[in-house]
Amino acid sequence: MNGETDVAAPHALERFQRPALFLGAGALAVCAIGAFFAPAQFFRSYLSAYLFWTGIALGCMAVAMLNHVTGGAWGLPIRRPLESATRTLPLMLLLFLPILFGARKIYEWADPARVAQDPVLRHKSLYLNVPFFSIRALLYFGAWLGFAYFLNRWSREQDATGGRAISRRLQLLSSAGLVAYGLTVTFASIDWAMSLEPHWFSTMYGVLFIAGQGLSAFAFIVVVLVLLSDRAPFAGYVGPRHYHDLGKLMLAFVMFWAYVSFSQYLIIWAGNLPEEIPWYLRRLQGGWGWIGLAILLFHFVLPFLMLLPASANRNPRVLGAVAGLVVFMQLVNVFWMTQPAFAGGRLRIHWMDLLAPIGVGGVWFGAFLWQLGRRPLLPLNDPEMQQAAVHGAH
Amino acid sequence: MSRAVQPGRGGPPVIEPGHTYATVTDKISSIVLARRTPLFWVLGFFASFTLTMVLLGAISYLLAKGIGIWGVNQPVGWGFAIINFVWWIGIGHAGTLISAILLLLRQEWRTSINRFAEAMTLFAVACAGLFPLLHMGRPWLAYWLLPYPNTMALWPQWRSPLVWDVFAVSTYASVSLLFWFVGMIPDLATLRDRARRKGFQIFYGMLAMGWRGSALHWYRYETAYLLLAGLATPLVISVHTVVSFDFTIGIIPGWHSTIFPPYFVAGAIYAGFAMVLLLAIPLRAVYGLQDFITMRHLENMAKILLATGLIVGYGYVIEAFMSWYSANPYEGYMIGNRMRGPYAPVYWSLMLCNIVAPQFLWFKRVRTSPPVLFGIAVVVSIGMWLERFVIVVTSLHRDFLPSSWGMYFPTIWDWATFVGTIGLFLALMFLFIRFLPMISIFEMRTLVPEAGPLAMQPIPEHSVAGEEG
Repeated sequence: MNGETDVAAPHALERFQRPALFLGAGALAVCAIGAFFAPAQFFRSYLSAYLFWTGIALGCMAVAMLNHVTGGAWGLPIRRPLESATRTLPLMLLLFLPILFGARKIYEWADPARVAQDPVLRHKSLYLNVPFFSIRALLYFGAWLGFAYFLNRWSREQDATGGRAISRRLQLLSSAGLVAYGLTVTFASIDWAMSLEPHWFSTMYGVLFIAGQGLSAFAFIVVVLVLLSDRAPFAGYVGPRHYHDLGKLMLAFVMFWAYVSFSQYLIIWAGNLPEEIPWYLRRLQGGWGWIGLAILLFHFVLPFLMLLPASANRNPRVLGAVAGLVVFMQLVNVFWMTQPAFAGGRLRIHWMDLLAPIGVGGVWFGAFLWQLGRRPLLPLNDPEMQQAAVHGAH
Repeated sequence: MSRAVQPGRGGPPVIEPGHTYATVTDKISSIVLARRTPLFWVLGFFASFTLTMVLLGAISYLLAKGIGIWGVNQPVGWGFAIINFVWWIGIGHAGTLISAILLLLRQEWRTSINRFAEAMTLFAVACAGLFPLLHMGRPWLAYWLLPYPNTMALWPQWRSPLVWDVFAVSTYASVSLLFWFVGMIPDLATLRDRARRKGFQIFYGMLAMGWRGSALHWYRYETAYLLLAGLATPLVISVHTVVSFDFTIGIIPGWHSTIFPPYFVAGAIYAGFAMVLLLAIPLRAVYGLQDFITMRHLENMAKILLATGLIVGYGYVIEAFMSWYSANPYEGYMIGNRMRGPYAPVYWSLMLCNIVAPQFLWFKRVRTSPPVLFGIAVVVSIGMWLERFVIVVTSLHRDFLPSSWGMYFPTIWDWATFVGTIGLFLALMFLFIRFLPMISIFEMRTLVPEAGPLAMQPIPEHSVAGEEG
């Protein structure tokens, strides 16, 4: 294990860890004061922030599992950052509690008076009720924490012993994990976000969430890799070929996300049915359309054009900038998908809408850095590692 | 074992050890040039040609009498024609996926199966294209679908996905044809140089388009091939997406579902890989190609089958859940009618074929047993056909007004046309394996140990201009 010292995380991580935690905790504290004056607004802002950051943690788990299933050298330099993000999931379980407490302020269907008057909500109350909602959330977290636990544990085992047997075990775990991920995230997206407008439904919604999580998580990890790229151990290891692979994959994620989003829009627009179209009308009228346009331009068009030429993919600065843009735009996208439900047809952005993502994000990012620093940054004993180093040197 | 036969992440090799440049070329080209035509081929071609004649008969009678000979009527106006169209066009997708997407993803194992998978795509698209043309009733007026200035002041309805279909499918057919043909040129030149008989020399000579294998030829070839792969990749997604729009743009319960585009694409790849397995398993046995189409190929294809099968299963689950969650009585009735209505046996067979059958592929023993794999591929192919039957028929036969409900039963002519296209497809496949190299000779040569370090990489990798890092 003489390589151990070479691949340890740089101390610079610790320098950012504390400020991130303090910033997050501070912002959350200010939001908590805000909650005193405007409790409903607090819970709503908090929901968007929570969905975005949980999406990154979950997306990282999905990307890590995808790499275990399909193989490919592209996953090796980012495996440890991905795994560190999955280890933040216990924190996300803790941070879910405010949503549980605020359910009645957030969700129309949680208000018995509303349900009593509305036949559609009465029909759905079999599924959309607070106890069942809480049980389902526990089930989702149970599955996520279980898969994240074994993913990290076996990966550490491989660090100590190496060998193909563990790779195979991880592959099998990840195949089952991806099936579980697909189903749990779909139903979690229905519970936590789609049911904000409880009359509306779309069979594509879960896929839209999965695509958004995969894209934002992948982009987030690219940002992390680019920031660490000029320090040991990545400095001597990650080469233009790695960036090229990651850039192409990010392009694929961008295209998949855009494909899914556009398909849903086209189908609902063409159908123009009274139970479906209001979802888009709320998101395109009263100023919200500008945000929609920004999402189209900066979540798809610009990243797509930037990632298309091979030269941009090989330049870590360009790649990192595009990835940063994509992460930010996914935050905007989550906001656009959730907040119009409360806005009453007019675009308005509360100060807590801006502060809550910083609060949840700061705490999350601090936890992520803490976890990232705890293990070697490269999976040296993975049988594919040697091949990947050759691969990156070109 | 040399590194050449052990690329990627271990596992069985993509080409068995012991092969050299010469043995690869001999083995593949001899199927076309030297070996006697096997009895299997003669019998198989005869049988499929007979079915093609059935198709000819069915089409002739259709043109004489009109589509009244089919089972379509109000309320089910889209019967077998659309079911078979979607089924065939879906099957084609695996070919493009293997040749374009797996190429771009540097999956070197694709090399031995891409050629006949591309041929399969072309023939499947040819069969698919017949159905909408015939379904129009007056196929000789098919050009009215195209936007061209005319004195009748006819112009296509651009908001109709049926018009998008015309463009999507014809683009797909032309790009697939180009991709297949361009990829074959170096091999056609090999056959030209090896052919003994004058007729064959001229035949392959014309097709080889003057290929001499110069460095410039190779450079241009690689560039063109990679560009075509880039062009074909979005087509894999777009064609079946547009096909799914044929349904979703309508507001019929069971059709108007936003999940359809990705779910149709996954279903298409699912059906397509089942068909590739159906063709590859007998071919490797009859022509002794186990060295080239190895267990690793079969296993990888089985894994893709499992993955796409799970995505399709996800589609069914979400559809059923949302029809309840929507609280819309028509949506709710639609799924209840599928499960308990007159077509319930079709629905449950579909679930059995498409959801239960592929679960066996979780086991390595199943994935590495060619006969079992063949059986699962048959079941999946039937299942995907049933899926289209359920989507097309159950949604139409009972829609909003109970007074206009009805049943759909295919007639003998529906079946004759369907079985006839299977004959046409197989007859074209038989001609292809007899007269053209069914495995890419020059790409296989890069996998043998002699090819040295290049053997670690697929073809276009070392040749893309301006990409040296």
